Amino acid sequence: MSPKREKGGGVLGTLFRYEIKMLLRDTRTILIAVVAPIVLFPGYILILNYVESREQRALEEETYTYAVMGSRADWAEDLVAAAIAADSADPDTTRSRATFEARSPDAPLEVLAEGDLHVVVEGLAAAEWDSVRAEQAAAGEDGAAGETAGARADTAGAGEGVRAPVPAVRIHYRGESNFSREARNRLRERILEVRAQQRDSVYRAAGFPVAMEEVAPVESLSVATAAKEAGALLGLGLTPLLVLLMLSGGSIVAVDAISGEKERGTLETLLTTAASRTEIVRAKLLAVIAVGLAVAVINVANLLLYLVVGLLPLPANFAVDVSPADLVLLLLLLAPVAILVAATLLLLSGAAKSYKEYQVYFFPVFLAFIVPCMAPALPGIDLRSVIALVPLAGVAVAVREILVGEVDLPFLALAFASTSGLAFWLTRLTQETLSNEKLISGAELDEADLTGGAALFPRHVLRWFLGLWVLFFVVSLWFGQDLGIRGQLLVNLLGIFLGGSLVMVRRYRLDPARAFGLHMPPVRTWLAVLVGAPSALLLGVGLAQLVNAYVFPVPEQLLESFGQAMTGPELPLWQVVLFLAVMPGIFEELTFRGVLLHGLRQRIRNPWLLALAVGIIFGIFHVSLFRIVPTAWLGFVLTWVVLLSGSVYPAILWHALNNALAIVPARLGWVPEDFEPEGWWAVPAALGLLLAMAILRGRSPR
Amino acid sequence: MNTERATVSVRDLKKFFFDESRGEVRAVDGVTFACQPGEVFGLLGANGAGKTTTLRVLSTVLKPTDGEASIMGHDVVAEPEAARESIGFYSASTALYPRLTARETLIFFARINHYPEARIEERVEALVDRFGIEEYGNARVEKLSSGMKQKVSIARTIAHDPPVLIFDEPTVGLDVLNALEMVKMIRELRSEGKTIIFSSHIMSEVEKLCDRIAIIHRGNLLALGTLESMREETGHHYLEDIFVDHVTRAEGLEGAAMGVAGELEGEEAP
Repeated sequence: MSPKREKGGGVLGTLFRYEIKMLLRDTRTILIAVVAPIVLFPGYILILNYVESREQRALEEETYTYAVMGSRADWAEDLVAAAIAADSADPDTTRSRATFEARSPDAPLEVLAEGDLHVVVEGLAAAEWDSVRAEQAAAGEDGAAGETAGARADTAGAGEGVRAPVPAVRIHYRGESNFSREARNRLRERILEVRAQQRDSVYRAAGFPVAMEEVAPVESLSVATAAKEAGALLGLGLTPLLVLLMLSGGSIVAVDAISGEKERGTLETLLTTAASRTEIVRAKLLAVIAVGLAVAVINVANLLLYLVVGLLPLPANFAVDVSPADLVLLLLLLAPVAILVAATLLLLSGAAKSYKEYQVYFFPVFLAFIVPCMAPALPGIDLRSVIALVPLAGVAVAVREILVGEVDLPFLALAFASTSGLAFWLTRLTQETLSNEKLISGAELDEADLTGGAALFPRHVLRWFLGLWVLFFVVSLWFGQDLGIRGQLLVNLLGIFLGGSLVMVRRYRLDPARAFGLHMPPVRTWLAVLVGAPSALLLGVGLAQLVNAYVFPVPEQLLESFGQAMTGPELPLWQVVLFLAVMPGIFEELTFRGVLLHGLRQRIRNPWLLALAVGIIFGIFHVSLFRIVPTAWLGFVLTWVVLLSGSVYPAILWHALNNALAIVPARLGWVPEDFEPEGWWAVPAALGLLLAMAILRGRSPR
Repeated sequence: MNTERATVSVRDLKKFFFDESRGEVRAVDGVTFACQPGEVFGLLGANGAGKTTTLRVLSTVLKPTDGEASIMGHDVVAEPEAARESIGFYSASTALYPRLTARETLIFFARINHYPEARIEERVEALVDRFGIEEYGNARVEKLSSGMKQKVSIARTIAHDPPVLIFDEPTVGLDVLNALEMVKMIRELRSEGKTIIFSSHIMSEVEKLCDRIAIIHRGNLLALGTLESMREETGHHYLEDIFVDHVTRAEGLEGAAMGVAGELEGEEAP
């Protein structure tokens, strides 16, 4: 521990230890990160047990009232009396006793519907029973649950499938009442028993000395064991619950670690010490990870204590069969999740200027985490599929499979690797982003508050584009039909995109040349566009095919109707080119690679992330889901074009060329409308795109 | 100026913020000065004059746009960690961690500023003694009164015994007694041979405390020297008159005095 030998490690260690020390002194952290996970699980078990036993007791203590009616009421009454006698004479002591009490109101079904009776037993003559069955068959498969005066009814006829002229009983009950259901279940079971005995005695009397059960034993048996079923149930909820706990516990730490320190002023104190920014960020990251891991460990320990050791008696649907080795696997799988949560929350906290801003950002992040964790709830999902490659979702499915007892190690490793990969990348991103002086000190952002105007634009740009999107969406939804394709394009391109951009430029007094990127690029740039645009288009089409095949298939008719709209035979060719290629090229570029990029590039320093963000926003503006991928790809590529050339002009040409190439050859019949490039095309296309980018890069960017 | 012994050296320092409507905002626009051990160097200027920005560049929280600055020979851009190791930075906004005790605070800051591990305990006890924080040394900072917090905060600033101390508007928000206490402590530190940079917009404090004064206005250094030399140069006795004299000359007569008065009332720029 000599300070000389490990100077850096010493500082990092100190920062981390103090971070944890302060965390442990914060009651909120302890409550949410430690106490909640410890208490939640046994609390849940206890509550379930309590509810179950209480219900049981209530059901036992209840006196069930019944009435008998129908044309064969006399016969039914005997049957019920025998059934009740059988119930109270049952030698099985584990069963609870119930008391039945007969009533005889005038209109039993009405009294039942009012809730003053638990069940009504109706005795039906054989002819009546036949007509009931005929009605039921006509009403469909499960007509047996025919409603009678607001009550449910089912029948215990003489041997299903046996068409003998014997009377039947029908039991009416109220499905929404636990007590009514319980009374019906008991009666039904006993009546069936009694009838079976009666039948047996008939058989025996006729010299057929075999018990009915031996003739037609019927027992439904789930192939899954109870433990498997319980595991599947617990496996659905465990990952979302844990991620929820990690997010809430981690949030307190993350928000305290950066936005909180900014607000209190301690961040400035810390930044003026000899500790490096990297050490500071790393220590904070480790602290948030520690909380996430603590949540995971506590919960897995809970599983160990209650499911393996059996500290508390478990309700029936909780009896999961897991071994300590399974729990180790669970913990391993959850570790990258904890890291992922930590890195994300810290990044969020660094990006937010205050607690308040953090809260605004938190909800979308919360959804982004919880939704993939719900993956096990998807019907028919299995880890041996693409899902293993989806971060979080793969782990969530793997967790369920471990609890069910079906461990498939290679796919488990894949799920672990995909989440770990994302966690690793995000950790690095967080560290790089937060080491940047502006984010951690917030000094330059404060400057924007002072000076206002253009400096505020980067902070407001996303709000503006959200507004534009809503406008765009509403216009196409409400007026799309009336405007026709040309009218809609004019409104969108000139009214919303150009108009919105001009309003932003004016409102924030932006320099139009800078905001729109109006700089003349060197001549070589145009060559790059000619090579790059077709290459990128091919890659985009290929990408869309991949997504279509493996992620979400696009309905055929959607593609067809879109294809028709795009090649629109009702428009002359020059108009198609003007409205679908030239104009989108100009106005979409000015808006997205001009104003949007101008605003975002002051907030997102990493060019890859920047291009991704601009691409995704551009994709979202193409509303329908199946166009997001190819258009986001185009937006991503075009952002790079502008970043490398320092000008919007090549992007305009590129975009126009892209659209023209997508429409005109098909329109002229040079290629079939449903043209799909083969896989090997991707190679020359990728090379072409790389070449184009290299040419652009060769001209030194401004 | 003797730059041989200089502990702090600032040459032609510039820090611009970009603002598209007004172009570049020149928060600091070519400031040059050097400080010696055992002196209190005063940065006097209105709010928004560029004092805090200069000091933030010196403490490496902000990167300079142009020019050079170094602390104990360590360039603030090339060796930010070494530069920070040599300073103690105190401002009205450098808060303490509420959930640490006073002692823990001192140990923590000594340690992350690379004070030799073996001597930390001894150093902390000496500070506890010196600032009279023995009786609440083990209480959490959040439970301390503002006067106690101020003492712990100064002890925190010098926990690692740095040669250079930066006090950015340290008396803002303090009551009279605490402000006097602050001035007294700064004098003591000077007598120990520390270099102290003291920024303020309060004339009387600067007048009483500073060995040399730099008047800074709109990012520019208008005057630099001892109070005596400034008196001789301008013919005014009071620092306030000297300050207004310089600013008026820099701005041109019209409206300058009003502008200065307005700025003095305004909020401090971050």
